[in-house]
Amino acid sequence: MACVYIPVQNSEEEVRVVLDQLPREATDIIDILKAEQASLDLWLIIAREYFKQGKLEQFRQILEEGSGSEIDEYYADVRYERIAILNALGAYYTYLGKIETKQREKEEHFILATQFYNKASRIDIHEPSTWVGKGQLLLAKGEVDQAFSAFKIVLDGDRDNVPALLGQACVEFNRGHYSDSLELYKRALQVHPDCPAAVRLGIGLCRYKMGQFEKARQAFQRVLQLDPENVEALVALAIMDLHANTAAGIRRGMEKMQRAFEIYPYCAMALNYLANHFFYTGQHFLVEQLTETALAVTNHGPTKSHSYYNLARSYHSKGDYDKAGVYYMASVKEISKPLEFVFPYYGLGQVQLKMGDLRSALSNFEKVLEVYPDNCDALKVLGHIYFQLGQTEKALEFMRKATKIDPCDSQAFLDLGELLISSDGGAALDCLKTARNLLKKEGEEVPIEVLNNLGVLHFERGEFELAQQTFREALGDGIWLAFIDGKEKPPSIDANASISQYKDVHIFHQLEKEGHLVELPWNKVTTLFNLARLLEQLHNIETASILYRLILFKYPDYVDAYLRLAALAKARNNFQLSIELVNDALKVNNKCPNALLMLGDLELKNDDWVKAKETFRAASEATEGKDSYATLSLGNWNYFAAIRNEKRAPKLEATHLEKAKELYTKVLAQHSANLYAANGAGVVFAEKGHFDVSKDIFTQVQEAASGNIFVQMPDVWINLAHVYFAQGNFALAVKMYQNCLRKFFNNTDSQILLYLARTHYEAEQWQDCKKNLLRAIHLAPSNYTLRFDAGVVMQKFSASTLQKPKKSVDEVRSTVAELENAVRLFRQLSAASSLHFHGFDEKKIDTHVEYCSHLLEAARVHFKVAEHEEQKIRHKQEVARQMALAEEARRKAEEQRKFQLERRLQEDELKRVRQQEEQFERVKEQWKSSTPGSKRRERSEMDDEEGGNGEKRRRKGGKRRKKDKYSRSRYDTLEAEADMMEDQEELEDEDANTNYREPTGQMNEQDDEENVQDPLAAAGLEDSDAEDEVAAPSTTTVRRRRAWSESDDDEQQERQPGSSPVRENSAELRSDGEGREGGDKVNGEAALDDDDD
Amino acid sequence: MKLAGLKSIEDAHEESVWAVTWVPSTETRPALLLTGSLDETVRLWQPDELVNQGKMTGHCLGVASVAAHPSGHIAASASLDSFVRVFDVDSNNTIASLEAPPSEVWQLRFNPQGTMLAVAGGGSASVKIWDTTTWNLFATLSIPRPEGTKPTDKSSSKKFVLSVAWSPDGRRIACGSMDGTVSVFDADRGKFLHHLEGHFMPVRSLVFSPVEPRLLFTGSDDTHVHMYDAEGKTLVGAMSGHASWVLSVDVSTDGAALATGSSDRTVRLWDINMRGAVQTMSNHTDQVWGVAFRPGGMPGRLASVSDDKSISLYDYS
Repeated sequence: MACVYIPVQNSEEEVRVVLDQLPREATDIIDILKAEQASLDLWLIIAREYFKQGKLEQFRQILEEGSGSEIDEYYADVRYERIAILNALGAYYTYLGKIETKQREKEEHFILATQFYNKASRIDIHEPSTWVGKGQLLLAKGEVDQAFSAFKIVLDGDRDNVPALLGQACVEFNRGHYSDSLELYKRALQVHPDCPAAVRLGIGLCRYKMGQFEKARQAFQRVLQLDPENVEALVALAIMDLHANTAAGIRRGMEKMQRAFEIYPYCAMALNYLANHFFYTGQHFLVEQLTETALAVTNHGPTKSHSYYNLARSYHSKGDYDKAGVYYMASVKEISKPLEFVFPYYGLGQVQLKMGDLRSALSNFEKVLEVYPDNCDALKVLGHIYFQLGQTEKALEFMRKATKIDPCDSQAFLDLGELLISSDGGAALDCLKTARNLLKKEGEEVPIEVLNNLGVLHFERGEFELAQQTFREALGDGIWLAFIDGKEKPPSIDANASISQYKDVHIFHQLEKEGHLVELPWNKVTTLFNLARLLEQLHNIETASILYRLILFKYPDYVDAYLRLAALAKARNNFQLSIELVNDALKVNNKCPNALLMLGDLELKNDDWVKAKETFRAASEATEGKDSYATLSLGNWNYFAAIRNEKRAPKLEATHLEKAKELYTKVLAQHSANLYAANGAGVVFAEKGHFDVSKDIFTQVQEAASGNIFVQMPDVWINLAHVYFAQGNFALAVKMYQNCLRKFFNNTDSQILLYLARTHYEAEQWQDCKKNLLRAIHLAPSNYTLRFDAGVVMQKFSASTLQKPKKSVDEVRSTVAELENAVRLFRQLSAASSLHFHGFDEKKIDTHVEYCSHLLEAARVHFKVAEHEEQKIRHKQEVARQMALAEEARRKAEEQRKFQLERRLQEDELKRVRQQEEQFERVKEQWKSSTPGSKRRERSEMDDEEGGNGEKRRRKGGKRRKKDKYSRSRYDTLEAEADMMEDQEELEDEDANTNYREPTGQMNEQDDEENVQDPLAAAGLEDSDAEDEVAAPSTTTVRRRRAWSESDDDEQQERQPGSSPVRENSAELRSDGEGREGGDKVNGEAALDDDDD
Repeated sequence: MKLAGLKSIEDAHEESVWAVTWVPSTETRPALLLTGSLDETVRLWQPDELVNQGKMTGHCLGVASVAAHPSGHIAASASLDSFVRVFDVDSNNTIASLEAPPSEVWQLRFNPQGTMLAVAGGGSASVKIWDTTTWNLFATLSIPRPEGTKPTDKSSSKKFVLSVAWSPDGRRIACGSMDGTVSVFDADRGKFLHHLEGHFMPVRSLVFSPVEPRLLFTGSDDTHVHMYDAEGKTLVGAMSGHASWVLSVDVSTDGAALATGSSDRTVRLWDINMRGAVQTMSNHTDQVWGVAFRPGGMPGRLASVSDDKSISLYDYS
């Protein structure tokens, strides 16, 4: 039994103080100590004993008494013990300050501690233990550098001072110099091999921090051997076990944690880890309790942060976002650098995202990314946030990075794909495909939204087969398959009730009666709608209509299905049904702008102008003027109104046009890429005669419109052709009309054929004109205007042929035939006019008949003349031919002569040369004998050469001549043509005298829009205007006729805005958008549920 | 069922080919193909090589329709100048030139018995029936005007008759008009029976099934083919698939298949039982104005003519 003996003053006796049985009241001991004037080390021993027994108050009392001024005086020369007492007090207050959580008291403790140490220093400035104490204090206060210098002072004096070594090790550890720290710990251990287990703990921690886990583990285990109750070592080992991340490891770790908890229930680290564990096991109640305890027992920032984080996570998973947010925030506040502990930033970001605070969430996730630049979840969430903030580019960047980092993350590909949908369909398709494949590989079900979007993308790219497959995959099994595969057919209906075939849902009732399950899950509606839309595109209208009806049967509020059915009915000219369907849609939502706009279109088709305008206005109001289609429709309305007025009031026309332009411009201001508005603006410019401007606009629109399957803009082609026509560029106009007709209308549009005919008419290509008119008649047999026009063309053709100064018998013969046809046509029209109303004045037709008959007579005369003429011509031609032959013969003779001449000259020359040579030879021979044969050969070669050259030259000359002849002849014909034109003009003048005026010149001069708009009909009628002056018709007929030409206009203009395709498509796209939104939502949630571990 | 291309003649006519029909075989020769075109001629072709057997002129303006008498000796052609020319197939002699002003002429069809020729009368809102022995106008079957409309009403011109068809027993005549209604007449009594509604765009071609006398097929500009029960006034079914106007329909002799020609440049073969398209031929490069199954025995033949000036012949099996 340990005991101390206090020597009794002035005697040999001692007071025995059993250390286990120290009196409860410290004053008793103090009295003894004071009375006996015990040495100060006894004071210290007893105080320490109190401390060991946890009697801190007594400990403090003794020491304070022992450091009082009395003692100082009395024991003035006992320096070391006094210092020791002061240091003990300093250490005590340091400890108090360290564990105190309240800031003010903490500081007070530290101040006291400082005072004691300073006092100790005053006694002896060189006492190492004081410096060690000071170092500890500074360490506790977090002033690491000063602590370092304090310890250094000690170590400089005694490099083996164990407490200083430990202190310095601690300093180095805190500074992150783990290897230095380790060295110091090791030295301490060498100097003092029996030092407490805590030193080995330090070694373990250093090793741990240095990543030497095995050695760390050994150190910790050694600690536990020495001190089985060492909580820190237990916790450290537990953490290491937990981090092993195996089931067994985690179990072992948790066991150790539990033991640590049982030994010492206030170790925050252990509490946090336990809480963490219970979070995963879902015992949120325990989590909260443990973390609250942890928070109460520690003020160590990172640990508190961890605790708050645990708490926040618990609330987060329970869905209490407010509380979670508060605790995350608290957790974040405890962290000085995100580098230390980044999870709460992530959690906070998630909560803020959930609460809609995008900007804050953004900054938090960015902090996460700073620490983990390759964290896919953070990248994805950031991408998501940037997308919601409208910074698509940045969003894409993040998403791309995420997919690059983890090419197996289906979610990342899904998100990226969805981001790309609006900007780059092809890339989006690739991403979604990858995502689908990944999901399939993982054995997960591909969400219907993904398949739906994939299908839509295929659809948009025109890959209908793939789109259909994808939609079917998305839809899976269901009643719709029976319809798609044509197993179930709609029953026959009364033909007279068939007017409402697209409203019939009888089939579904019947199927239900037969015991089939007619079900349609809500999440498949959009996909089914898209499939129906696709079937429409594939012209499988009937199946599409059944699917739409199925949607409506189960979901009678699905407005888009009504509108598509209405569009189908409209395409089939069934306006009554179409209007009914639109009204059904309006019953669901009487402000639905799409339905209103469609109704407006239908009302326009029904010629209900005032109503249509009101409907368009209502639609525009319903969208607060933001829907460009509504504005466009109003613009179109104004444009029609400008053109339509029977009496062309220039003022009214101008105001309407101005208004139309204003509206188009408004749309363009909102959406600078709106093709339809640009087209409209172009039309207005054309109306005002600014053809160059409108041509530019139309050309651009045309370029922009090609390349998207949903954009069908035949109007702009027609408009462009109109402009070319108005500018007199007939060839281009023809090409443009033909391309348009073929590309967009399958050559079925008689109106464009009429434009074509009109262009040929202006270009005086009568036969082409007639053929086109006949085609138009064939396409639109009930349009009698076309017949009239055909008559006019034949008449014109005949007249112009007859006016030719030179005409062959065949020409005149065909002229006669044409005239007979024309007469017959006009007579028929005349006869039919008694039967039908078709806008022609009988008298006028009669005039045409008369004129044609007159021409016919003339033609017959011409015919005879022509026959005669032809004979003459033939004769002349014969003469000419013979003359030509003679000429040719003469020319040939001449050539021959020339040739001969040349030849003779050459021969002469040769002869001369030969003679000379011969002479020379002779001379040579005379001189010396030689071989004359070789010379002769030379000569003959030369001969050949020259002859060849000559021939070549001649051939060249011949060619040149031929060319000359050709160009001359062409010139001749041109001249002849010019002559003919002159003649024609003269004749036309004459014609004017015979009460028939040519419209051509006039039209070109006028060049007003009427000409562009109402083609040949007007031309024909213009003709008769001239006649009317003579025929003096009643004014009513004129008006009526105008009305007719106007109604032609209407037809064309109604098509011109090309509005229906836009609407249909936009409706479609909108519904697609729904699907995508749905997908987004799911993804958003998924992102939140993502775990951060 | 299946179509297989046998032979195509490019530039068979100088212009768009608008009409086609088979002239039944006679004792002396096999069945021939008769085509009419915008180039104002009617031409005869010998299958399967489509050898040109003759070119017949005599029309002004385009030939809109051709029809052959069941005997195979006589044929008729109608053109935009509102004449019907009846001629001897082998000699090309004109037998008669028919006109009934102010009515124009569109589709024409001989009745199965060969006693009558029905001509769609266009704006006259009637079908003209000609006696094939005397070539006199036998009857005019007028579509009654909707009640309450005046003769001057604009809408009356919508009952413009475009197409005509005889039931296989010759007792019914159906005609299609511009506004999409189909009118059924009792041929014997010359009486209007009822309308068949469902189309709202021109019905350019219609044909009765040779097997089921009540079953009528109509092709319309609304891209649909409708199947009507012509007696029961019911719409039995609607078939969609063409991308543009259906210009011509014909039923195979076995009554199992339907062929259609369309502005979408294709010829489609439909299974009538399945009510679905089984095959699409896209060898033409322009609107297909006419399709015609060869009447009589095997092997089955289908001919099509198009705006691209060509004629195509297919094997049908």
